Amino acid sequence: MTAALEASRLSKAFGGLSAVDDVSFIVPQGSLTAVIGPNGAGKTTVFNLVTNLYQADKGEVRLFGERLGNERAWQIAARGVVRTFQTARVFPGMTAFENVLAGAHMHLRSGPAWQMLWLGRVRREEARLAIKAERLLELVGLARFRDAPATDLPIGGQKLLEVLRALMARPRLLLLDEPAAGLNDAETAELAALLRTVRGTGVTVMVVEHNMSLVMGVADQVIVLDAGRLVTAGTPRAIQQDKRVIEAYVGQEEGFPDHAGG
Amino acid sequence: MLEGSVFAVVGLGFALVFRVTDVINLSQGAFCVLGALSAYTFEETLRWPVPLAIAGAVLVTVAYATALGAVTFVPALSRLSHSSMLMLTAGILTLTTGGMLVLWGGDPYSLPPLSGERPVELWGIHITTQGFWIAGTTLVIVLGFWFLFTRTILGKALQACAENPMAARLMGIDVPRMALLSFALAATIASLGGIMIAPIASLQFDSGNYFTISGFISVALGGMGSFIGAVSGGLLLGTAEQVAAGYISSLFSDAFALALLLATLLWRPRGLFTLGRSRRIDVRDDVLFYQAIVRLNGRGAVLCGVAAVAVLMALPLVVSDALLGSLVITGILFIGVLGLDVLMGYAGQVGLCQGAFMAIGGYVAGILSTTYGWPPLAGVLFAVLAALLAALVLAFATLRLRGVYLALGTLAFGLVIDSFDAGMMNVTGGPSGLVGIPPFRIGAFAFDSDRSMYYLVAGLIVVLVLALLGGMRSGFGRALMAIRTDQMAAGALGINVVRYKLAAFAISAVLAALAGSLYAFYFRFLSPEMVGTPRSFEMVTMLIVGGEGTLVGSLLGVALLTLLPTMVQSLALYKTFAEGLLLVLAFLCLPEGMFGGIARLVSRAAVRRRGNRLMAEAGAGREVQ
Repeated sequence: MTAALEASRLSKAFGGLSAVDDVSFIVPQGSLTAVIGPNGAGKTTVFNLVTNLYQADKGEVRLFGERLGNERAWQIAARGVVRTFQTARVFPGMTAFENVLAGAHMHLRSGPAWQMLWLGRVRREEARLAIKAERLLELVGLARFRDAPATDLPIGGQKLLEVLRALMARPRLLLLDEPAAGLNDAETAELAALLRTVRGTGVTVMVVEHNMSLVMGVADQVIVLDAGRLVTAGTPRAIQQDKRVIEAYVGQEEGFPDHAGG
Repeated sequence: MLEGSVFAVVGLGFALVFRVTDVINLSQGAFCVLGALSAYTFEETLRWPVPLAIAGAVLVTVAYATALGAVTFVPALSRLSHSSMLMLTAGILTLTTGGMLVLWGGDPYSLPPLSGERPVELWGIHITTQGFWIAGTTLVIVLGFWFLFTRTILGKALQACAENPMAARLMGIDVPRMALLSFALAATIASLGGIMIAPIASLQFDSGNYFTISGFISVALGGMGSFIGAVSGGLLLGTAEQVAAGYISSLFSDAFALALLLATLLWRPRGLFTLGRSRRIDVRDDVLFYQAIVRLNGRGAVLCGVAAVAVLMALPLVVSDALLGSLVITGILFIGVLGLDVLMGYAGQVGLCQGAFMAIGGYVAGILSTTYGWPPLAGVLFAVLAALLAALVLAFATLRLRGVYLALGTLAFGLVIDSFDAGMMNVTGGPSGLVGIPPFRIGAFAFDSDRSMYYLVAGLIVVLVLALLGGMRSGFGRALMAIRTDQMAAGALGINVVRYKLAAFAISAVLAALAGSLYAFYFRFLSPEMVGTPRSFEMVTMLIVGGEGTLVGSLLGVALLTLLPTMVQSLALYKTFAEGLLLVLAFLCLPEGMFGGIARLVSRAAVRRRGNRLMAEAGAGREVQ
């Protein structure tokens, strides 16, 4: 089976500063891969490279076997690769419910002209999506915020909302950039449960995360970056015992911290 | 060249306020005129000595600007997005212009030259002495600015506000005070510029629009926020206009300057004279985006809609003939504002050229049916197509521009169309208008009475509102609202940002063109000021006062601004003033518009009436949110 994501020898420099340097990794289909590393390790840059927010200086990316060219963001989403952002980016001026619905955009079968006619077909489609969106909101305990302006939600709620919105896009590969940053413990637990559910449905998930207990609890594979270079990749257990990782992460051999600061 | 100096001075004011607050302050030009008109009153009516009159006029202008700035501009800074601030300052401009109309009337005024009429002869050329005064004042102002910003602590503090307001606040700088100071300082130099130019150019209450636009073009040419850029841009513009007026045609001199501006905005949005240090223009402009969420769902909304349609159909039976005419105009303008709501309220793209699309629609349909004898319906269809094409070209050209830069691009486009309306005498009838347009007809039926026209417009409105409501409450509307604030996140969800932006532009232009052609057929006449840039601003005001992003809400704004002045004739003098005041008040007090305000009251009342039963059962306010 082809990998969901295959990066080979990716490099990106800003000015003279190398943000990602000769990084290769594979995200197998159906896996939940976590990317960890200290601040400035190049984690978000990797995300931006595989979604064409930045163009790589060197190297190539393959998404489900197909080489990534200079597609626009929406074309990458159309390939089934959907991402969230490091800071919550819900759409202001829309309710939480509408934000989740917006994620289903690619799968609408009726175009604007049909929607204006508001035919039975459109009504049925909207109703079907509404049920799905409400179910997702309930799943993470946000149902009571359904009709609230999305920006009125607590920050943790907004980050969860962004994940739901991405899920409505029915991704084959879901890229989550620090989904647990700003979440309280209860919300983090909701997130962990949600991630397991998502992987259970066969969606490949790649997540940049600082929260170690979350990563170690849900990931199949962990990729460790430091200063733009790949340190190692392996199972959570192997990573926890890897001396290089501990050095990169805490700078000294004091064992692995349960919660690395985010 | 002399006019150019004044453009430069106004441009400096723009640059100053922009540098300190990141806002493009369109009220600038009004202060020029206020200064000049006050000076006239002091000098000619009250017979004060000239220096005293000038000092008094500057003082009056600054006092007025400071007071107004303190209650409107400064408090709004922390609440409104940059594009909303732009509109707010347009409101201040309109308000001040309208106020001057009330106080000084519509006559042009001219001041006597400071040092006599006799020109001096210099190397064989006669030069009016006022020229020296203008050049001298400009030079002093420029040097003063240079000194302020490079040599004083205050200058550094002002600068810090622009670079990073939060950090400036933390360093103990009183940011609101600095903003007010920049606003007042800009008004000071504007009034000086106005007083100096008044002897060679007669000014009237609405000359401020001209100075605002020219000053703004200067600063946009030179580079927003750059003092040297503003001055060089002003001088360049003054020279360019004179050359164009001399060699091409005075009617097209504006078009020339505007074409220069459009080209600059498109190829070098940061201006011609800026090197190195540049502002990022790709950051999310609307960080302070705020829009109340007004949603009417459920049975209540359907009932309201049915009732509204019934009232709409019954109205002609009860109202007077005069009022019926005003209702037709209201309806026609509402069609144009509906389009603007899709563009601004949903897609979040500021469009200051709705009047221009009305002009394209009105003139194309009018000319085809008058000069070429086309059937009106074919003329309308062709006009709509022409506007669609123009909109797509404009939208493609301005795709990269966001927020205020987009507003400026569309404004420039609108002004170019304005000057074509007036300039192409043989085709459009020039400033005196296109006459002899036949009534609208479909087949054998002519819509030549107010009543038939009313039903045509009302029918169109019902169809359009239903279609747009359908589109806006489903995927189309969500996609537009998504690109409104976050194009990157929208793209990541598979929304083709370019396509939806173009769609929003197209819908707004098509509806404006439709409105414009109906307007021409209704009046059987079309003149440039009926569909010019002031009309664009008026439509924006109507939309914002009525309620953005609600489709039906803007009808309230259109009706208020159209019906009130016709119903109460004595208010006509105050119309401009009231428009400005309403726009400013809407931004400050009722950001969700009249419609949103009413919806909020209704939903509160509904919740209270149904009481705790509903609250406990299903979560309150779901029906009327």
